[in-house]
Amino acid sequence: MAEVHIIGQLVGASEFPEHSLFCKWGIHAGGAWKLIAGLKEGQTQVDNPENEEFAYWSHPIDVHYAAKGLQGWPRIHVQVWHQDSLGRSELYGYGFVHVPTSPGTHKIECVTWRPIGTMQEELTQFFVGGCPQLKNADLIYSGADRYKLRTTAMGKVHLKLNLIFRNFDKYGVEC
Amino acid sequence: MTGVNPNPAVFLVMANGQIKTAEFPDCDELYCRFMFVHGQDWVVTSGLEEGISQFTHKSHDERQLFVWNFPLNVTYKSTNPYGWPQLVISCYGPDAFGREIVRGYGSVHIPITPGKHELDIPMYVPVSTSRFQKFTSWFMGRRPEFVDPKVVSQGEGRDVTRVRSQGHVKVCLNIVTRDMKKLGYDVTPSDVTSVPVGVNAGI
Repeated sequence: MAEVHIIGQLVGASEFPEHSLFCKWGIHAGGAWKLIAGLKEGQTQVDNPENEEFAYWSHPIDVHYAAKGLQGWPRIHVQVWHQDSLGRSELYGYGFVHVPTSPGTHKIECVTWRPIGTMQEELTQFFVGGCPQLKNADLIYSGADRYKLRTTAMGKVHLKLNLIFRNFDKYGVEC
Repeated sequence: MTGVNPNPAVFLVMANGQIKTAEFPDCDELYCRFMFVHGQDWVVTSGLEEGISQFTHKSHDERQLFVWNFPLNVTYKSTNPYGWPQLVISCYGPDAFGREIVRGYGSVHIPITPGKHELDIPMYVPVSTSRFQKFTSWFMGRRPEFVDPKVVSQGEGRDVTRVRSQGHVKVCLNIVTRDMKKLGYDVTPSDVTSVPVGVNAGI
């Protein structure tokens, strides 16, 4: 069986309107993929940078998958949240990115978006905070009902992933 | 080195290099402590797993640099890339009253591909949960710190920590691996111009 090791970090986030950010992340793979070791989801620390515009999480990712097929190649989805000084959390963005399909070290930038509501909702959000959230988190990485959403752009999440593949050449897979 | 092994059971990873420099705008003196953290399938066969550097002062020119030039040298053997080793660095220095406090924690996986790699590790400190605690910790010199620096190399339990990132440490590592290819592990993209012969059909 072919195996894939995803070893790396959720490095941090940039270009968001406020600091004090954390990220909930997860890896979703299709039915042919089996998780052998490692955590496939988690939540980072909250970082409030002192001197820079970049919020650093340095959250380690170490996952070991066994693959029976190429379909359902793993995808990493992220939700960036902002925590204010009173401890309340509001959603800042959703994003997803496919795990790269070639072995080696990859620097990945995952762009994020957040849903926007009606004019009244945007006005209350300006004063009170908070934002519309997806009822079903699967929509972050699937294209199925996306046409119903209205969204706006938010910042970027940076990842550095090292990929080790095993036995892919035995099955004739070029990557 | 021992001779060529046709059926290896383990692969080896050797990392050598140095903790080069650091940039911390808010500190004047620092020393750092490093340790290599790894999974259960990994064993250190030679080299030092942890150590402490010298005490260094910030340069007074426009570079504002801390230089350690501290050697790192470790060799691992393993049966499984899961638990790939990480380098965990913690920096300490005196505060305004001369008491030693933690200035940053950071971690990075050692690179997986053979060759020379320049790594930049962002450093962060835990912050107190309330303003009053912040004041008492500044006053008493007992800032929040992690009980075990290894916590920064793990994914669990981080969702309740609040940190402040301040500073970077630059590390240079040279990696050599042995027998990873023989065990079937690929760390670089394959050469798609040449078709391998005698290939199993289908997965």
